[in-house]
Amino acid sequence: MSHLLQLITPALPEVFMAVAAMVLLLVGVFREKESTTLLTWLALAAMVVAGGLVIRSAPVTAFNGLFVVNGFTSYAKILMLVGAGLTSLLINSWAQREKTARNELPVLVMFATIGMMMMISANDLISLYVGLELQSLSLYVLAAYDRDNQRATEAGVKYFVLGALASGLLLYGSSLVYGFGGTTTFDGLATAVKAGPASLGLMIGVVFVIAGLAFKVSAVPFHMWTPDVYEGAPTPITAFFSVAPKIAGLCLFLRVLVGPFGNMIEQWQQVIIFISILSMGWGAVAALAQKNIKRLMAYSSIGHVGYALIGLVVGNEEGARGLLVYLLIYLFMNVGTFAVIMSMRVKGKNVEDISDLSGMAKNHPVMAAVLAALMFSMAGIPPLAGFLGKFYIFVAAVNAGFVWLAVVGLLASVISAVYYIRLIKIMYFDEPGTAFDAPDKLAGTLMVGCGVLMLVIFVLPSSLVDSAQAAARALFLG
Amino acid sequence: MLTAAVFLPLLGAFIAGFFGRLIGDRSSQIVTCLGVGLAAACSIPNFIAVALHAHPETVHLMTFLSSGTFEAEWALRYDTLSAVMVMTVTCVSTLIHVYACGYMSHDDSQPRFMAYLSLFTFAMLMLVTADNLVQLFFGWEGVGLVSYLLIGFWFKKPSACAAAIKAFVVNRVGDFGFLLGIFAVYFIFDSVNFDVIFDAAPGKAESAVTFFGIHAHALTITCLLLFVGAMGKSAQLFLHTWLPDAMEGPTPVSALIHAATMVTAGVFLVARMSPLFEYAPDALAFVTFLGATTAFFAATVGCVQNDIKRIIAYSTCSQLGYMFVACGVSAYQGGIFHLMTHAWFKALLFLSAGAVIHAMSDEQDIRKMGGIWKLIPVTFGVMTIGTIAITGIPPFSGFFSKDMIIESALASGTGVGTYAYVMTILVALLTSFYSWRLIFITFFGKPRADHHTMEHVHESPLVMLIPLGLLAVGAIFIGGGFNHFFVGEGREHFWGEAIKVLHENDSIHRAHTEHHNFFVQWLPLIVSLLGLGWAYLFYVRRTDLPGKLAAQFPDIYRFLLNKWYFDELYNWLFVQNAFRLGRIFWKIGDTGIIDRFGPDGIAMVTAKAAQRLRTVQSGYLYHYAFAMIVGIAVIVTWFVVGAH
Amino acid sequence: MNALPTEGAFAIGLSHFLTVGAILFTIGIFGIFLNRKNLIIIMMSIELMLLAVNVNLVAFSSYLNDLVGQVFTMLVLTVAAAEAAIGLAIVVVFYRNRRSIEVEDINQLKG
Repeated sequence: MSHLLQLITPALPEVFMAVAAMVLLLVGVFREKESTTLLTWLALAAMVVAGGLVIRSAPVTAFNGLFVVNGFTSYAKILMLVGAGLTSLLINSWAQREKTARNELPVLVMFATIGMMMMISANDLISLYVGLELQSLSLYVLAAYDRDNQRATEAGVKYFVLGALASGLLLYGSSLVYGFGGTTTFDGLATAVKAGPASLGLMIGVVFVIAGLAFKVSAVPFHMWTPDVYEGAPTPITAFFSVAPKIAGLCLFLRVLVGPFGNMIEQWQQVIIFISILSMGWGAVAALAQKNIKRLMAYSSIGHVGYALIGLVVGNEEGARGLLVYLLIYLFMNVGTFAVIMSMRVKGKNVEDISDLSGMAKNHPVMAAVLAALMFSMAGIPPLAGFLGKFYIFVAAVNAGFVWLAVVGLLASVISAVYYIRLIKIMYFDEPGTAFDAPDKLAGTLMVGCGVLMLVIFVLPSSLVDSAQAAARALFLG
Repeated sequence: MLTAAVFLPLLGAFIAGFFGRLIGDRSSQIVTCLGVGLAAACSIPNFIAVALHAHPETVHLMTFLSSGTFEAEWALRYDTLSAVMVMTVTCVSTLIHVYACGYMSHDDSQPRFMAYLSLFTFAMLMLVTADNLVQLFFGWEGVGLVSYLLIGFWFKKPSACAAAIKAFVVNRVGDFGFLLGIFAVYFIFDSVNFDVIFDAAPGKAESAVTFFGIHAHALTITCLLLFVGAMGKSAQLFLHTWLPDAMEGPTPVSALIHAATMVTAGVFLVARMSPLFEYAPDALAFVTFLGATTAFFAATVGCVQNDIKRIIAYSTCSQLGYMFVACGVSAYQGGIFHLMTHAWFKALLFLSAGAVIHAMSDEQDIRKMGGIWKLIPVTFGVMTIGTIAITGIPPFSGFFSKDMIIESALASGTGVGTYAYVMTILVALLTSFYSWRLIFITFFGKPRADHHTMEHVHESPLVMLIPLGLLAVGAIFIGGGFNHFFVGEGREHFWGEAIKVLHENDSIHRAHTEHHNFFVQWLPLIVSLLGLGWAYLFYVRRTDLPGKLAAQFPDIYRFLLNKWYFDELYNWLFVQNAFRLGRIFWKIGDTGIIDRFGPDGIAMVTAKAAQRLRTVQSGYLYHYAFAMIVGIAVIVTWFVVGAH
Repeated sequence: MNALPTEGAFAIGLSHFLTVGAILFTIGIFGIFLNRKNLIIIMMSIELMLLAVNVNLVAFSSYLNDLVGQVFTMLVLTVAAAEAAIGLAIVVVFYRNRRSIEVEDINQLKG
């Protein structure tokens, strides 16, 4: 027994979450009432406990090298858990409001979270695949959760089909990597890659793996699902999609590329540059023509992924630090913005058009101010946190000699500033439309909190940057 | 307690600013007054501990910025200099807060006003307790910002908005110099921390830098740049134009910001940086020269103005000149001493001017007043006290500090010091003249206001009179009470390490030891009394004389009335040309070239691209899948081709 | 002992298996984006892709004399079953709403 305990200790947070999720499922079944509030709070408590366990966990490689825990994975997991926790609160209040609260909702979120935790800690192509699928399958269901809604189910179908295709690509790549690298463990692959020039089969395998991961973080040209799924899925679930899987996906991306394939940097660097530029450009330009705010956020997140990928391109400790800082700031920007979008309700019905924001400054000055701050932050305008995120990324790029990439990033952020600031213009200067209902307490608190955080992070970034730095260092130590 | 003294006002400002509407006018007033009041209460024991018991201390709060060798902290540096400033600022600010409760009682956004005042106090405290240049700059900009907000407090008045913008822009010029100064300090010392800079200063005394191709003495350049910042904030000549206009703000603001505290930040900066200035004799000479000239300029202009607040504003400008003279001749202690006494009596003058304006139904032109001293005897009394203090008649506080400055200027023995001595004596005469002129015209003679106004002349409520009374007490006793510590025998023990004066520069020491004849010693007082007599003659006895004099020398009169034509000159030189240049850029450069090919052109192209991308996002699964496959095919091909 | 004969005129070697895998995979991909009729066919295509991967993995496993590939295959099979179940469930709810599973009808969300 004690031997078993010892064995699972490294994965204690994941194991705990899994057990908790199953217990919650049972609790849900045995309660007569269909309600998510209790389960959400329990799930939240489980996430907090798991977070505590993550913080306490010591760096170790376990399960015959399938699973790794270090400063980097802990940082990523904490970030992801915060994102999942905050959005699951939003999901609950939405479900209560729309009377679609069913027991499985928080449990699904938990399963997705477990999958992401496993992804982050994966140290082998097999555990990577299993974690990724656990996450993806839960997300497919979540996208189609509002099952009587045509758009939500369409989003589910699209997400599922394209996601399965991406999984197929990833798997095919994994099989090639396995065949030509001779092993599936990251450490073994790293040794194999170091040994000599990579064979063509291995390189093609890596490209397929990159494609599969790029899909999960919605980088161009594997992003096509994003706008449709963001628009179709219920708003708080979109919020969840936009933070937790992105964080987990980008961290996994970073681990896979600098870990086993670190010595192939010259080869994959070009690919990542390519998709990074495409993502930044596409995210910036395509968003200009959007009328639906959730679609806009989809393109916005595509653009943000593009910036974050610059940190990956750089491929050193500074780049990783930039990416981690970026993710942290991105997390709070998105949660805040989605809290505002969730509160865009007229007489109890959700509205999603950008033009519905008109005159919000008059009707809801606080909400408008918060959204304005968040938009400025997204556009990367000081004195808000978004500026810092871009700053650290671009500095890393410049220091590594990618000045031109930083310039491209700057240009893209200028273009994207247009649509962020257009929102502000609509809120403050357009003829007022119908006033929104008062936002509920939770969304209000979240949005104001995130808005204030934008300022606070900008003023006092040092502890956050230091922790990101420590995480980045842990990543490169192995 | 050290921290509380700084952050309580911020707390007050926060509560009144964000929840002012919620908690109402009265509560906002109480909260903010309590905030600064408690801060003032904390500041006095601090002063005793730090200054009188010579126990300086630095409280580290947290790291502000840290990048490479650049490190800036949030810290509260309490040495004698800061303790004096903190005490002065909080005490005067408290009285003005209380006064403002009465003065602004008819305004409809009082919480906002009180919040600004408290926020200002906080920023000022951050400035004076900074332990590095970056935090000092934070406070510097903070007070600048609140000053802007408060000048434009009545934002519906176009003149107030214009004045606010002017103050902001002119200050920006100074701030730019200040920033360059900070850069220079960092460049030379590789640090912005005061302790580090001051320790390293003697070692850098001989070093030189190349600046814009000019090979120059490093510390002189640095000090001059820092002084440019001080000039902007303290309204010294060339950058003084914003101060008189700033009187558009409510009177408590003029008293707190534009007389007692903020404008003295420049003096504080020079005193704070004394270990640097001491090694830059050329910069010191410049400071002396400019201070003396400003004092003279402002005094001459003050003699002919008719707006009660503007007269006092020019008087402030002129007194600031005194303080810079003191700093310039290395009598920093004298400068700070005058700063403190000035804060009390100038706040007193402004607030009693406010009471007069209040009594006269918002009339500010002294020509439309007169004969009201019997109607508002308390106001008259305290204002006279303030005037006696400013004109330097013993034993009121102005006498001690001003006398010290004038003597130090003479004792410094340099050429520019002698110039400063002559100027300051002249200015003492003029100061006395215009100050008494103000009193005589405002309170004596026949009433010149209309009947209706005269009927309504009334004494201010107690909430305004009590601060006035307390300020008057300060104006009387502060000078005599602190003379011993600031500039007297006890000064070395009192100041400790806070201010550094090289032995060969120590003009205060020399002023004490060298014995002058009776005439030199009492000359300031003599000219002051002369000024009183002159004003009495002109405005009580022979009221026809001023008009005749003005008619005799119309050019000079107009020259003074128009403030030496500085505004016109700047308008012609900078504003007009800037507008003209702006128009050229706008018409030809911007709309013609940049807009057409730049933003508009790019905007059109991107908008079209956006539409095209929309059609790519067709909604069909097989298109999406196809895009992914094409993407991967392209990348694989690139790889394979690239690998071979 | 190597399970795969590598010599001889008609010996089936690693490359043959890989070729079969690649062909199956390509057919699967083409099935996804050439088929415009039925969602079920897409599901089948996905299965085909996973199958191709399995062929690859088993072939490599045998070639490398390393069991990990076969373990991987087992896991892929398991996950594929779960994926199919969830996929079908989503298709069912979609059908209930839209009364159609034609791929061409799935285009409410676009732009």
